[in-house]
Amino acid sequence: MTCTQLTEKLDDYVDGLMDRAESATLGAHIENCNDCHQVLARAQGLRASLKAYGKSSLPRPDATFFDRALARAAHTGIRRQRNRWVMTGAGGTIAAGLVLWMLGGMFLKTPEIVAPAMPSIVMTLEEPRTLNLVFSSATTLANATMTVVLPQGVEVVGFAGQREITWITSLAEGKNILPLTLIATSPEGGELMATLRHEGDDRTFRVQVSIIS
Amino acid sequence: MSSLEQNQRASFDTLLRPHLDRLYRLSFRLAGSKPEAEDLFQDVLVKAFARLDDLLDVREPGPWLCRVMYNHFIDNRRRIRRARLVCVEESQLPGQSLDSLPGDLDPVRDAERLDDIMRLGQALATLSDEHRLVILLHDIEDYKLAEIHQITGDPVGTIKSRLHRARARLREALGTDGTNSRP
Ligand SMILES: [Zn+2]
Repeated sequence: MTCTQLTEKLDDYVDGLMDRAESATLGAHIENCNDCHQVLARAQGLRASLKAYGKSSLPRPDATFFDRALARAAHTGIRRQRNRWVMTGAGGTIAAGLVLWMLGGMFLKTPEIVAPAMPSIVMTLEEPRTLNLVFSSATTLANATMTVVLPQGVEVVGFAGQREITWITSLAEGKNILPLTLIATSPEGGELMATLRHEGDDRTFRVQVSIIS
Repeated sequence: MSSLEQNQRASFDTLLRPHLDRLYRLSFRLAGSKPEAEDLFQDVLVKAFARLDDLLDVREPGPWLCRVMYNHFIDNRRRIRRARLVCVEESQLPGQSLDSLPGDLDPVRDAERLDDIMRLGQALATLSDEHRLVILLHDIEDYKLAEIHQITGDPVGTIKSRLHRARARLREALGTDGTNSRP
């Protein structure tokens, strides 16, 4: 083995990745070669220094950091899960639904919006139906509040028995879709309202829901 | 909180806890400063919760989590690198590193070690991200080549030669490369 070959193999030797025969050959060379002996000593010294560096440079988290981090992650995750219909609503459910409303330009900042005649949907009793509310926003809107008020006998799937649902959400720039999967549990029907509030401004969307049995 | 959410919360805790120490170390190695590391750590936990179903299916959550962290770091590298550069400057202030030395070092050798450590920190900071990372993971955190492969997705051979070059660069930066004068 030449000194150059040894230099190339040095990492494997230091890392213990060499088989016994190779390792013996290298060991024999090192015993008889002062230069390589020094190269090896430096390589091993560097590894030891790196270990010491590793110990010294690592900060410890505060005693409660892990608990807090886990709690925050779960809290954020659950909140997003509840808002998932807004955040990921641009996915597959669009085609099934009814597009109610589209605003051009900056949402909420537009002073005058001419509302079309109140749209309406017809639902069959006990049959889920997805209604898509579409918002277009020129900018990102954080901390908007969405409130959905349902007519008697109509529920959002997953929110049984709740006539009014409110949550905080954010709107992305561009199209935002809120798919509401509704189910009618009794035949009354009536007006559904979805109100979005942002910094004191608000817009309400209304749709007439009629039920057939 | 619904019972489903309580369940999620409990399995998330149970699943994650055994890996938090190692994950925390990795986040510090990647990010280079405590505040950035803790942000990175938090981001990865949020990602992990969102992918709880995947996580429940994974045979080895440790490497899976490390990989999520690595990818998140790579995606946000530019932002994180800025913080690292600031951190290097801070670490050159006298006294700062002394506070972070653990108590089990031999006090007689403290000064010498401290000098070593400061020089190493500075030398590491001159390496490219790829070179610095492979040394941090392999030589400092004792990850095996196969484990680094699981984290970064790079082939083992690539990681090995990168490690070889990174060590050579580090020795150059430290001025302890005795191989230059050799025949
Ligand atoms: Zn030799």
